[in-house]
Amino acid sequence: MLNLINKEFKLCVHPTNFVFLFFAALLLVPNYPYEVVFFFSSLSMFFYCLTSRENNDLQFTCSLPVKKGNIPIARIFTSAVFQVVLIIFCLLTSIIKCSLFPAEMIINQAGISANFALVGNGAIMLGIFNLIFFPRYFKNPDRIGTTFVLSSAVLFIMVIIFIVLRWAMPMYSEVLNGPNAENTLSKVIYLLIGLMLYAVMTYASCKLSVKNFLKVDL
Amino acid sequence: MKALEVQNLTKFYPKFTLKGVSFDVEEGHIVGLIGRNGAGKSTTLKGILRLISAEGDVKVFGKDINTEEEAVKKEIGYVGGGFRFYPLKTLSAIKSVYKNFFSEWNEDKYQNYLIKFSLAEDKKVKDLSEGMKVKFAIALALSHGARLLIMDEPTSGLDPISREEFCDIIIELIKSERVSVLFSTHVTGDLMRIADDIVYISDGNVLADMSLKELLSKYKVAHFDSEKQAENFEVIGLKPVKEGFEGLVKADLKDDGYIYEEATIDKIMIHLEAEGRGLC
Repeated sequence: MLNLINKEFKLCVHPTNFVFLFFAALLLVPNYPYEVVFFFSSLSMFFYCLTSRENNDLQFTCSLPVKKGNIPIARIFTSAVFQVVLIIFCLLTSIIKCSLFPAEMIINQAGISANFALVGNGAIMLGIFNLIFFPRYFKNPDRIGTTFVLSSAVLFIMVIIFIVLRWAMPMYSEVLNGPNAENTLSKVIYLLIGLMLYAVMTYASCKLSVKNFLKVDL
Repeated sequence: MKALEVQNLTKFYPKFTLKGVSFDVEEGHIVGLIGRNGAGKSTTLKGILRLISAEGDVKVFGKDINTEEEAVKKEIGYVGGGFRFYPLKTLSAIKSVYKNFFSEWNEDKYQNYLIKFSLAEDKKVKDLSEGMKVKFAIALALSHGARLLIMDEPTSGLDPISREEFCDIIIELIKSERVSVLFSTHVTGDLMRIADDIVYISDGNVLADMSLKELLSKYKVAHFDSEKQAENFEVIGLKPVKEGFEGLVKADLKDDGYIYEEATIDKIMIHLEAEGRGLC
């Protein structure tokens, strides 16, 4: 498995996988729909898998002494590494922003504030992306375009839902909104729930992807 | 010992079925997998390597791929029509990843192959000629101690001189490394030179699985002035040629003054396919 992950990093990942990590800095921009940062992350996963297709990577990997079922796990694990780094970067950025900026600048007119709860939203979005994108991708690696359109459409709807919730639901607009220093426990609990959902959905994505990939003809 | 045992390999596609393909590759033998385009050669090779989900049993040096997939693949060097992977990566970048999968990787051997094949490691895959790509794939396969080379159309796209060079390399490998080779091709001239055995696939069925000598000794090619003349014989796949007609006849047919010539793999394939039947 380690060799497979090493191969993913050295031969497969796309430069945007690294570049989009730094989009966490967008959390410093005032009045911005910050969930979009996680949408960009999904775009880099698309480029990653698209590059793999253009390089005939899955055929090459299948000819190596590995179990076919380990190939999707290595790819999803590698993707998860980038996603977790993005989550960490977003957490750090939110901590920096909440520490340095005055409270009125933390309030976001375009969505929820850049705080722990936002990162919880992002973790849920990434988990849903993994659950939709990878099983479909490993069912038919050649038709990655339609897979991405479907999964990114769902993410877009998620962005809209979270923005609406921020204005329409008191839990989001009052408890989970604002600086990290306010209602910290609630925000941390929401973040942990988001991370837990991310882990469960990513695990389910692995299971479904392996099942699909074992049947696929390359 | 058998290097490869394929039993009842079956794959259903909407418009094509690989129908229970079975054959063996003896250790140290070169086996040519022949058949027309779409006959099932690549499907067979992909089924062996589990690139497709086919039914059936595959054993490599006695190990079952279903239960010992990793160990089996370590014994195999796959050369899929040259090296079609990672065109923008350098050979050294690919090698540095590839070697990690093989505990038996021999760097000295690899470097020797690079020198022998005149391959520069700092070149990108896209900058290699088709012949060089095949050589790179062979260098990788042999440096991890593969004992069975599986090649899918390795000589297609190569000029005659490169094909000759490829055949020389394979013959040398058989002598020096005692590897076994299974390669699919429709360039049958190469097989006439180097193959020990032939597996002939047509429409997803194995029509013939025998030594090359045995296959060639079964038939001879007969020439006739007219179709009527051919009616007196049991001719397989009679077809018009530039001067008269040509077909296969059994090799034990009594010489009675007609023009006969030695059968080649090409001629056997052409006339059997024209007749639309198996060997007799």
